[in-house]
Amino acid sequence: MNSTNNEPRPSLQDTGSAILLRLWLSVRAIQTGIEKYAGSDVGRQPIKVDGNVYSSDLTAVTSSNKAYALDNYHGIPSSLQSAFAKEPLMADWMLKIYDAILGPSLIILGMLILLGVASRISLIALGLLYISLTWGLVLLKQDAGIAWLGIHIILVVMALQKTQHDPFRLLKKW
Amino acid sequence: MNRRNFLAKSGVLAGAGMVMGLPGLASVATSANNKINVALIGVGKQGRVLFEAMANIPGLHFQAVCDIWDYNRRGGASKVRALQGHVPNQYSDIDDMLAKEKGLDAAIIATPDFWHSPHTVKCLDAGLHVYCEKMMAESIESARLMVHAMDRSGKLCQIGHQRRSNPRYTFTLDHLINDKKICGTIVNINGQWNRAVASSQDLQYKKSLAIDPKILEQYGYKDMHAFMNWRYYRDLSGGPISDLGAHQIDVYNWFLGCQPKSVFASGGNDYFKSREHYDNVMAIFEYDTPQGAVRAFYQVLTTTSSGGGYFESFMGTEGTVKIAELASNSAIYRESTAPSWDDLVKKGYLKRKSSPVQQKAAGGISSYESAAAEEYMLPGELTKPPHQPHLENFFAAIRGEAKLNCDARHAFESEAPIYWVNPSAETKSPIIFTEDHLKI
Repeated sequence: MNSTNNEPRPSLQDTGSAILLRLWLSVRAIQTGIEKYAGSDVGRQPIKVDGNVYSSDLTAVTSSNKAYALDNYHGIPSSLQSAFAKEPLMADWMLKIYDAILGPSLIILGMLILLGVASRISLIALGLLYISLTWGLVLLKQDAGIAWLGIHIILVVMALQKTQHDPFRLLKKW
Repeated sequence: MNRRNFLAKSGVLAGAGMVMGLPGLASVATSANNKINVALIGVGKQGRVLFEAMANIPGLHFQAVCDIWDYNRRGGASKVRALQGHVPNQYSDIDDMLAKEKGLDAAIIATPDFWHSPHTVKCLDAGLHVYCEKMMAESIESARLMVHAMDRSGKLCQIGHQRRSNPRYTFTLDHLINDKKICGTIVNINGQWNRAVASSQDLQYKKSLAIDPKILEQYGYKDMHAFMNWRYYRDLSGGPISDLGAHQIDVYNWFLGCQPKSVFASGGNDYFKSREHYDNVMAIFEYDTPQGAVRAFYQVLTTTSSGGGYFESFMGTEGTVKIAELASNSAIYRESTAPSWDDLVKKGYLKRKSSPVQQKAAGGISSYESAAAEEYMLPGELTKPPHQPHLENFFAAIRGEAKLNCDARHAFESEAPIYWVNPSAETKSPIIFTEDHLKI
């Protein structure tokens, strides 16, 4: 140990807490972002009546599997989109921008937190993102969702406080 | 000709046409590159619905767009450009378009009802095949002119009763009702289109986008409100019974294969007091079909969505087919005394939906209770936009590959009784149809 360093060595529990929080928040953000690219790969076949195809346009579902694709992207669920569209404080252009950036933002911030790149800045950005989501839910009076996001904010704050005890970061400066 | 003879002719002979589907003969006439050159006449809300459906059909070239409202016209042209990479020629006046455009093969007309007939007649006389939205026209006289123009020009004229090309409907009619006779004897029909007040409000517009009053007057609108809400004006449309009811009453006549012999209707301005057309209308049609009398009830309510939205229900002694464009509004019910449908399920004609819940009625009314009907459903769904098969049929007919599923003559036979619903409601009297009421 360097004799000039007066900082106490972080305890195992501090390091463990920091890493677990970091992992949880990053996995939560990354997978939430990826899920915005999720859709269904539905297989359909023309129906057969008495052994014969009636019309190629009359089909039935033969398989339905979850699939990920860029074309499936939906930043804000359509049900919320229509609800926000009625909100005077939510301008159309704001909604469009937010819809476009939400998924990629969650994935990028999640990856930065996972890798420990500028953890403090990344956690603050993630916290701001959760606050923006909270504002939207306040508009829609979705109290359960607001409380749920409140828990996320608490975890982000805790992660910020534990960051200094986390030695396994690629870029520690920020 | 006495009434019975007339009905025999109008009902059975016209019905024969409906059942057999004797549409206008196909003709082969497309441009040199085998693309069908199309003009879009009217690119408002419904025009765009049709365009979105046509965007999936190969072999079309959208050459021109015509709409008196530059907001619609520019929007429509933009959609065409996004699809085919170049901007179509744009016109505000159909006469101007027909005079200047060369090589057009077909026109898709989705203008307000009172313009359907003039636009269709102009396009047919100019040598174009025409697909025109239903209701054919705001009046039966105008609708007649469309049939005459089709006959005179020798061109194809398809009317947008798109259910006639929907495989769910054709399968139901061909296989379930006619072939397997799962309804037994059809004795009643019940249909409706119920729409909530919130969905029946006047359409609004931005004042900055309003059309010049002189242009509105030139094209028959007293103001911008009439332009946006033509469905509520008597000179411009037939009102909800034709706007919403025409599709479904057409299915009544198509499935039964004949025209009704009478109509008795009631209607009123129950909520939208200032509108020229009734906001709620109920009508009873009576039919003499080859299998016996059928009474058909239809209601269009623009003041409530209660009652399951929209559907047509063919009620027979052995089963009921409740069908709608929306698959979730459809169901098929087997009467408890009907022969088993297990074999039909096994062969793929039907899917069983659920077992009936047997409820024991209270003793005092048990003798009046019917056993619960088993519920089934159609075996497949249409996954294309609902207008696409009907448009595909139109373009296939132009290429000589198909016959029209609903040409103007057959559409007229089916629509003619609908024109008499409002007069019956106004006079509070039944109308017994004569040849004059229904003739082309």
